[in-house]
Amino acid sequence: MSSPQSPVSRRSFWSNVAAVAYKEASVIRHDKALLATVFAQPVMMLLLFGMALSNKPANVKWLVLDRSHSAISRRFVQDVQMTGYFKPPQPVWSYDDGRRQLQDANALAFLVIPKNFRRDIERGRPRVQLLVDGSDPLSAARVAAYIGQVAAEFATTPLTLAARATSGAESSPMPVDLRQRFWFNPTLLDRNFFLAALAGMLLTNLCLSATSLGLVAERESGTYEQMLALPTTPLEIVLGKLVPFVGLSYGVFAFATLAAGLFFGAWPQGSWLALVLVTLPFVLASLGIGVFVSTLAHTSAQAVFITVFFIMPSFVLSGSMFPYQLMPHGVREVGALFPLRWYQIALRRIVERGAGLTEVLGPVLALVILFGVILAGIRWRMKPRLG
Amino acid sequence: MNWRRLRTLMRREVLATFRDPFTVTILVTVPLVALLLFGYVLSTEVKGLSLGVLDSNRTSASRRLVAELSAKGTFDARFYTTNGELERGLVSGAISAAIVIPPDFDRDLRAAASGRELPEIQVIYDGGEAVLAGNAEGFLRGLINAAVASMLAEEAPQVAGARPAAVLPAAAAPRASGVEVVTRSVFNPKLDGTPFMVSGTFGFVLSFLTVLITAVSIVNEKLTGTFEQLQVTPATSVEILLGKIVPLGAVFAFDVVLMVLIAGLLLHVWPVGSAIFFVLVSSFYVLISLALGLIISATSATAAEAVQKSVLFSIPLVQLSGFAFPIRSMPLVVQWFTELFPATHYIRISRAIYMRGAGPLALLPEMALLALFGVLLMTYALRSIEARR
Amino acid sequence: MSTPIIRAQGLTKRFGDFTAVDNLSIEVAPGSIFAFLGANGSGKSTTIRMLIGLLRPTAGTIEVDGIDVIKRPRKVRDHIGYMGQKVSLYRGLSLRENVEFYAGLYGLSDAELERSWGALRERFSLGDAEAEKTEDLPAGIRQRAGLALSILHQPRVVFLDEPTAGVDVHNRGLFWELIQDEAQAGVTVFVTTHFLEEVDYCDWVCFIDAGRLIANAEPEALRLRYSYGYRIEVEVAADARADAVALLGTAGRRIEDTDGGVQLCVPALDPDVLALLDRFVDAHPLARVHIEQAQMTDVFRRVLAESGAAA
Repeated sequence: MSSPQSPVSRRSFWSNVAAVAYKEASVIRHDKALLATVFAQPVMMLLLFGMALSNKPANVKWLVLDRSHSAISRRFVQDVQMTGYFKPPQPVWSYDDGRRQLQDANALAFLVIPKNFRRDIERGRPRVQLLVDGSDPLSAARVAAYIGQVAAEFATTPLTLAARATSGAESSPMPVDLRQRFWFNPTLLDRNFFLAALAGMLLTNLCLSATSLGLVAERESGTYEQMLALPTTPLEIVLGKLVPFVGLSYGVFAFATLAAGLFFGAWPQGSWLALVLVTLPFVLASLGIGVFVSTLAHTSAQAVFITVFFIMPSFVLSGSMFPYQLMPHGVREVGALFPLRWYQIALRRIVERGAGLTEVLGPVLALVILFGVILAGIRWRMKPRLG
Repeated sequence: MNWRRLRTLMRREVLATFRDPFTVTILVTVPLVALLLFGYVLSTEVKGLSLGVLDSNRTSASRRLVAELSAKGTFDARFYTTNGELERGLVSGAISAAIVIPPDFDRDLRAAASGRELPEIQVIYDGGEAVLAGNAEGFLRGLINAAVASMLAEEAPQVAGARPAAVLPAAAAPRASGVEVVTRSVFNPKLDGTPFMVSGTFGFVLSFLTVLITAVSIVNEKLTGTFEQLQVTPATSVEILLGKIVPLGAVFAFDVVLMVLIAGLLLHVWPVGSAIFFVLVSSFYVLISLALGLIISATSATAAEAVQKSVLFSIPLVQLSGFAFPIRSMPLVVQWFTELFPATHYIRISRAIYMRGAGPLALLPEMALLALFGVLLMTYALRSIEARR
Repeated sequence: MSTPIIRAQGLTKRFGDFTAVDNLSIEVAPGSIFAFLGANGSGKSTTIRMLIGLLRPTAGTIEVDGIDVIKRPRKVRDHIGYMGQKVSLYRGLSLRENVEFYAGLYGLSDAELERSWGALRERFSLGDAEAEKTEDLPAGIRQRAGLALSILHQPRVVFLDEPTAGVDVHNRGLFWELIQDEAQAGVTVFVTTHFLEEVDYCDWVCFIDAGRLIANAEPEALRLRYSYGYRIEVEVAADARADAVALLGTAGRRIEDTDGGVQLCVPALDPDVLALLDRFVDAHPLARVHIEQAQMTDVFRRVLAESGAAA
């Protein structure tokens, strides 16, 4: 093999890469399994995250035991119902009944309004009891919060104020007038949260599995050795293989971004240029990881497993589906080792918060560093094999 | 059915599986990693969240408010001096939420004490982190209300109506007037997210990993020709099916026990109900998953294809099965659709046993449904094993 | 022939529009080696898979050892042995463990196993390989192991699908010796191959092309019909040439002059021709006789050509 320094090989380096790339592209075109992944998965995940998955409570089943039977207690229940998170409340006739239903997980929340509710309001100390099903803690917490909100604001409704006025009692005002705003996502749709990072998840999947599987399959079928016999250097081969995948990645990225906007109105608020530019180091880093995995696996089955079980923590710890800020400290830092973490940070900044290139330089730098580390890892693994 | 043939088949399966170090590693490490991953990942507790503070009041009152907010380490206060800075902080993600204290805050506070005006505070959330904001929202409200209420109580002792609430972590029970909500939780009083995720993780691992491993195994056999050879021997399809899934099922049952122990010892999550019952039901579910894996592999030509199919199939299944995202929040059509997944029912059972201590009687309908799925899938798996005649 | 142990009539298999096997009818005599030849993709493997009950024919009937294979595919499994194209030894298991595995499936008692495997191990020289992991075995040994496993349970009929593919010439020869030993012992061997030279090891051969049977006879008969038969080259000094022509010309074929002597073709090596040759060699001790058999490839080509013309 000619040394990398010789003028002949240097001149033909890029043409070699191009030749390999061209061959790779035609292989990909015929790889049905890969194409299925490339087309089916993005659509599937788009549907999932755009339409099905959300942490926001909806259709919540709840029970009401109204011992007061007054207009004002009914008004309270109505107020809760109007938040829109709940199904129509199911009335129960005894505390035990309601509690039992809760235990059987037939409902998420059980509101108990005491007999003297009306009088308590006039006196200024109204109180209700709420039982929630803790076996669904995330939803229970949110639902309790919503009911609590309604309860807190209940004091300012005309009816209650009027009641208070007539009784002339000393009223304790709500301590604070809380104005809340959700920037960037006024209705706090979980969907926008997921869709912003969708491109990242799809690309992680594509880049990792395609390269690791492709390289190992090639090694198994012997065509890799065949290529080594040609006057191309290993580096040219690897680069040539990656080039079509970069193209494919941008295709998937375009799809995710456009589809999210077209179907769900989640257009990027920030700079498109920044989006396109920040995708490159991420794709390279992910492809690099795929290559690295291929050097670890001996059979294609192994490659697949290692890949899948790299993708899983990547999705989970990166903050694409679950907020990383809520993770305990050690775990949070481990997540920072995945390229997807930095990419989704950049994505969210640009897509949801309208950032420009300057604001995402940090994540870009992190991605470049990660890519460098991965390249070093690859060289270290490939050296003895081909040296 | 010939017991000797069955034993022969199972013995081979066990030997082959345990001699492959890679498979053994996967079988042990993946469930553990998944458990630790998901156990730590989702929580309702908010800790160390960066809170931007724009304090235009700068009196002891406003400083007191901020101090109370950062007291328990829930929020990490960061101070900004201009709106612009605050905005940039939110955009860049340096802060996830912000409070803006108006210049008249202390005066309004005193006025509120005598029942006149309400002090106003503006709270801004990074809606880009919707999930985070949703969780943080309740917390912040509750804390602010509590802080202000106690400050008011000191200002004007006659306003005795304000009482600190029984605040659950992540549950907001904004206090003072309005209506007091005394909230308690049946099961999981602290509303801890960990047992929820742990019990769901069993569903994830037993749905995803099982399918993957089985799918690859049969395809490999087809590729080496041993499967065809098997079909020419006197072994019946039933024997072949059982010979594959019983040993693998045993291995995964062991995995379940391992996971229960690890969840208990490391994450301090033990099932509220009967652990034995849980292991039994889980083992049955494993068989169902294995049958599914067999079906996938019988219809795939290469190992790579089998895995792609498994992944393509399993990922939405897991997402929609109620593992992390509540089913009731999904569109109705999707909710009906998820009822078709065995995983959905298993996760329900898993949560019921782990968090509510449900017993066999209470879970009878769900288990019957699983049994039905089992029968259907096994039949289909049998058909796909049968020589293509 | 006595009752055929394999009888297929009108066997047809269609995959959608594609006809893989077209109206095939064959009969295999018990205790014979039956070669089933054809190029890749000609329908060989499809046929064999139908014969052993792995594939259901679109039309036709199959009977193996008196059992209707189409109606009762499972019943036939106890009576037959099979060795597929990819020698199916389980990875991760030693050869011995593979043997025990198949013995278990065929219901062999420990005693039966010892007897059967003991003998096979000897004959097939597999003693050293017994404890080895199968993925470590070289191709030649793998093939022999595959054959041994297929006859472990002493079936009456053995189906071998391209058993010598990927094996070197020397091992191939050994392999065929083993097959012939089995046939001697009364086992019927049904072999598919695309090595045409192997035909001469067999008692009967049929050629298949594009799913259709184009020849079905003994190898000798095919040679007779489709080729020049045997070419006899006699190297002899120039002066003896005339003698050769005179003597051997009576064998009935055109006799030609070559550089070294004479050359003639005979359809078959019957005793008369051999006697003539003997007489000639007795008369001319310095002469050298070289007999060359027509290549089966030529035979096949001729068969192909003629069937193509007929079709």
